Amino acid sequence: MEHLYPLFTTGQISSNLNLFYGLLIGIGFGFILERAGFGTSKHIAPVFYFSNLRVTQTMIAAILTAATWVVIFSWMEWMDFSKVFIPPTYVWPYLVGGIIFGVGMIMAGWCPGTSVVGMVTGKVDAFAFVVGMFVGMWFFFDTYDGIKDFANSGYLGRFTIDKFIGGDMFTSSYLVTVVLGVGLGIFMHTMKKIVDSKRSVENE
Amino acid sequence: MEEKGYWNPVLSGILLGTLLFIAYAVAGQGLGASGAFARTMAQLLYSVDPDFAHNAYAGKYLRHGNALSNWIVVEVVGVMIGGFISALLAGRIKQSLDKGEGYSSAKRIFFAFLGGVLIAYATRLARGCTSGQALSGASGFSVGAWIFMLSAFGAGMFLAPLFKKQWKGL
Repeated sequence: MEHLYPLFTTGQISSNLNLFYGLLIGIGFGFILERAGFGTSKHIAPVFYFSNLRVTQTMIAAILTAATWVVIFSWMEWMDFSKVFIPPTYVWPYLVGGIIFGVGMIMAGWCPGTSVVGMVTGKVDAFAFVVGMFVGMWFFFDTYDGIKDFANSGYLGRFTIDKFIGGDMFTSSYLVTVVLGVGLGIFMHTMKKIVDSKRSVENE
Repeated sequence: MEEKGYWNPVLSGILLGTLLFIAYAVAGQGLGASGAFARTMAQLLYSVDPDFAHNAYAGKYLRHGNALSNWIVVEVVGVMIGGFISALLAGRIKQSLDKGEGYSSAKRIFFAFLGGVLIAYATRLARGCTSGQALSGASGFSVGAWIFMLSAFGAGMFLAPLFKKQWKGL
């Protein structure tokens, strides 16, 4: 049986229609980000201090929800998940890129998507971040020749959890994702409790 | 107008995850953001100097015509519209600088800028950001997404004590 989804990469909708849907999906994305409280660095920076779990809870719930839809649609054979683009894994640049990203995030209190929302709603710090992003992109384009080898090191292709530890999407990838998501959630809640009790001792 | 409250975080997550799945199902790719910044900058540099088309990295954006006629760019234009509409309806459109109590505005702007520079660089190494790599990758069971997410989270947590004043009281 032919899979119905994804529509674009199985050639069922034109490139222009795909772009139009992309605009609508973007509008939904911006709306949800703003309503979820991602439009202010006041909610993003506390992720690293465990003082406000809003952003973390939303991220974990989003990952688990999307992964659940993927599993249902793949199980029912409504979707050919191999036709969905998943960024290929490059171990070393992801590790180093992640570290630089984390440093930037605690400094700025923004990430690229949230800064777009912050900027259009009048946050001056988001505007400064966006200007910095353009400068950073320019810097990367100009220095890419020198770091090319590193930037492409540790290449593993489309490396999903089941390729790493065996099994398939349903028996390993999904279960491990649920365990990681729930585990991260429990870790954050525990840290928040510790931080809260320290604060109340300091305030006595 | 009085400000409307934010949505419950778990409900927001369920909606966000469902929207991400719709992006998978329609476009065959997840949500993203940083790619739009890279493409916009590439197009800008190209319009100033056509030789930029030969840039070792950004050349791939310019090979098929305008770097901006791309799904992720259009999606980010949508994010601007959607974010604006939501904030407008909630009475949250206003000029402000978010920071901890009593922190210097100049320092805050400087660190927001510098963080932007670092994050842009990091997104090119990591082929994405919190949206395109962490959220959209992890939902598609990518090991790389977890490498990126955990190292970003670890680094932010590790340096958090240095920026305590900037985020005081939050």
